[in-house]
Amino acid sequence: MSSPALGRLNAPRPALVETGPGATPRIVNREGVTLVREEWRVVDRWWTDEPVDRHYFEVVLESGRNVCVYRDAEARCWFTQNA
Amino acid sequence: MIACLLIPGFELRAALRARPRLALVPAALSPEPGEEPVLGPVTAAAEAAGVKPGMRLGEALATCPSLVLVERDPAAVEREWEGVLRRLEDTGFAVDPVEQGAVIFETRGVERLYGGVQPALERALAAVGSAWDPRIGAASRRFTALAAASVARPGQILLVAPKEEESFLEPLPLSLLPMNPGRYAELEGLGLRSLGELSQLPGGAVAERLGVEGRDAWRLARGGRRTRVRGRRPAAELAEALVFPEAIANELTLRRALGSLLERLLARPERAGRPFRKLALAARLVDGGSWRRVATLRDATAEIGRLRAALGSKLQELPAPIVELRLEAVELAEHAGQQLALVEPAGEEAVVRLREGLRQVRASTGTGSVCAVVEVAPWSRIPEARALVVPKDV
Repeated sequence: MSSPALGRLNAPRPALVETGPGATPRIVNREGVTLVREEWRVVDRWWTDEPVDRHYFEVVLESGRNVCVYRDAEARCWFTQNA
Repeated sequence: MIACLLIPGFELRAALRARPRLALVPAALSPEPGEEPVLGPVTAAAEAAGVKPGMRLGEALATCPSLVLVERDPAAVEREWEGVLRRLEDTGFAVDPVEQGAVIFETRGVERLYGGVQPALERALAAVGSAWDPRIGAASRRFTALAAASVARPGQILLVAPKEEESFLEPLPLSLLPMNPGRYAELEGLGLRSLGELSQLPGGAVAERLGVEGRDAWRLARGGRRTRVRGRRPAAELAEALVFPEAIANELTLRRALGSLLERLLARPERAGRPFRKLALAARLVDGGSWRRVATLRDATAEIGRLRAALGSKLQELPAPIVELRLEAVELAEHAGQQLALVEPAGEEAVVRLREGLRQVRASTGTGSVCAVVEVAPWSRIPEARALVVPKDV
């Protein structure tokens, strides 16, 4: 029997983020943020050994690209992901 | 000689492998869900407390309030039984499983190898392992070997010489015969208590009174027919499984996962083009238990649409969300031929071309380069938990 190596789709990638007032992203991967479109929080699996506590931001960069970044409260660092 | 290896209460023993401490306390295998609430096998401590296999659940709990009910674990039972059979086969015996916990084999092929019948049977006991409390009965006929195993003690090898078979069977109880429970009461009502008393009756009279079942029981009481033991053909390990990061119960997700498993199993080179005759769908439940269903196909087939139809309905019988889904090829047909259709279904040519193209990509870039996305929990608030990337064999 082979149990295939299952990969996660849309896995988070570490991101370099500088924040401004209110802890909102100001620079993402050395590119400036022109607009914060949306902001939300995901708190889940708090009853397990792998709780999830993320503060998401959907932002528009200077290049016009639309990206999602989140601050992971457990890992205390920033990641980028397609939400 | 024909030998029968018996492991009484195999289902309970297999379920207790994960919780060995329960073997020392009053415990019993819980009733089958949806069936009559009667207990399965029980531990020795439970029997000492007055609980017997087949007892109604309410009566058992009233008799022994501290009775622990052990949940059935069909996947573990199947796995452990397959392990027992393989260990016997590795020792050189061609096994013919009767049921889980009972297996028949001949010693003729290995007697010279091990230096006799007794040493060969000792090797068989050692192969199974003393933890299972196996016992062996051997005789020139199957039923006598089974009866001898039934009365043997754990770890004992009971050899019955051909000349002694009739006298050996004589005092044994009628419960050894494979009959409906009501028949035993009927025979006892006629004043019959042992195999010897039944065998002394005229066969015609028994057949007239008790029908075909009675006639077969009468023949067995006299030792049964002399038949050869045909060893099973061990199936190649042909199975695929998917492990989910979160427990799932959504029918659409389960069906998609089943489709992915079917595609992978069909692409396995060990299948050698042979269609499936029997498939097993198993799952590990979120609470740690297991679930298993076997589907025997009316016609052996490798058409994915028919396989989906045969197995898809089984998914509705899942009693709880699952964390793993497994598909096993229990039996393959011998032929590799395929009945072609006069008119191909619409879109079939495009599917064939796509499959060929993917094979070429895989051949040039290596295994794992062609993948499929399987939606696991599209409603999840955690984006990476919504779908999995599964290597796709084509």
